[in-house]
Amino acid sequence: MKADLDDLRKRIDLLDESLVRLLNSRAACALEIGRLKREMGIAIYQPEREAEVLRNVQRVNNGPLDQDAIKRLFERIIDEARHLERVAEELQLKKEDS
Amino acid sequence: MVVVMQERASDAQIQSVIAKLIEMGFDVHRSTGALRTVLGAVGGSRQFDTALLEVLDGVQEVHRITEPYKLASRTFKPDNTVITIGDVRIGGDEVIVMAGPCSAESEEQVETAAAAVRRAGAKVLRGGAFKPRSSPYSFQGLGEEGLRMLRSSADRHNLKLITEVMDISQIDVIERYADILQVGARNMQNFTLLRELGHSKKPVMLKRGISATIEEWLLSAEYILAGGNTNVMLCERGIRTFEGYTRNTLDISAVPVVQKLSHLPVIVDPSHGTGKRDKVAPMARAAVAAGADGLIIEVHCDPDHALSDGAQSMFPSQFDRLMAELRIIAPAIGRSICLEPVTRRGWGV
Repeated sequence: MKADLDDLRKRIDLLDESLVRLLNSRAACALEIGRLKREMGIAIYQPEREAEVLRNVQRVNNGPLDQDAIKRLFERIIDEARHLERVAEELQLKKEDS
Repeated sequence: MVVVMQERASDAQIQSVIAKLIEMGFDVHRSTGALRTVLGAVGGSRQFDTALLEVLDGVQEVHRITEPYKLASRTFKPDNTVITIGDVRIGGDEVIVMAGPCSAESEEQVETAAAAVRRAGAKVLRGGAFKPRSSPYSFQGLGEEGLRMLRSSADRHNLKLITEVMDISQIDVIERYADILQVGARNMQNFTLLRELGHSKKPVMLKRGISATIEEWLLSAEYILAGGNTNVMLCERGIRTFEGYTRNTLDISAVPVVQKLSHLPVIVDPSHGTGKRDKVAPMARAAVAAGADGLIIEVHCDPDHALSDGAQSMFPSQFDRLMAELRIIAPAIGRSICLEPVTRRGWGV
């Protein structure tokens, strides 16, 4: 029993490490998109695109997390991406100012 | 800030609120619930009227969760601040008692008071060298000479030292002698002094102004914290009310209120809080029972001849008795208080 628990916990640690890598790859993409949006003069907040992202992740979801849970999780991921884009934009504006 | 959307709010309505919040400089945390969507808005530096959001379509209600102070707020830092000065920890499990004379008057007076309070279990010696007196003709303190006396007695009895700083010009000299710098009630809103103490390496005890609200008090603490000095403790010392029997009305309820709003340790001063010797012990007991992180009490070996605050200074024997009582009260609420009185150790041996 104890050995099983340890194994599963180790597995969770490894999965978390993969998740962090994946989330950061996603964030890097979002940053790049933010840069392009800036160049093209498009607003950071694109509600239609966010809805599309949520539809997409729900489409490929096979559980055990239900659709609402996936939606809530990805809402947080999108929130953070938006935050990252905003911080990058502020930095850029500061640079341009000086 | 939290924006709660109506149950039937459409996606378009939610999206336009998000767009508005982003435009106002907030980061938005969207949380879609089974019935309604809640938007958490974080950051945003501008002051604005929440009514601007309440009138948007689909918005049910808007709650501001941020207090006007930030660094002092428990929302910002959920864990209690513990200020460590050598082996003394203020804000931890142990209730720390600071005691001593109102002012340093002579080498002998400071020394006997230090010995007495240490024996009873105090961890910090209090004593003024620069005194803010209501009248310019009252005794004003011994200045640096007083600091020297206090420091040497504190060292001799293994006590930390707290003393009041009244003016920016005194910070340098007081920092050389004291372990904790006290800002008195009359200086609570001396913002230039507070700003300067924000750069000090020494912990600061900020007394509540005689007619200050708790919010104003915490905003004053914010000045010190904003300067980078995170070692701030607050001290309730009574507020001015219509009651004339006691010198001030000690606001014991400030202890749980501040502990809920802020992570900073709260000290209670029952001496100034009441102004009368026989009222000090009951209020000290009440303060510990209410959860105060420490007490600051005036003890004088000859209060009838004290140069200041004699009427509110306890006799050493009264202070001894009080400490024994506090040792019974503190454990009842899961706190300790100098469990090992240093009674007689090194005394007469």
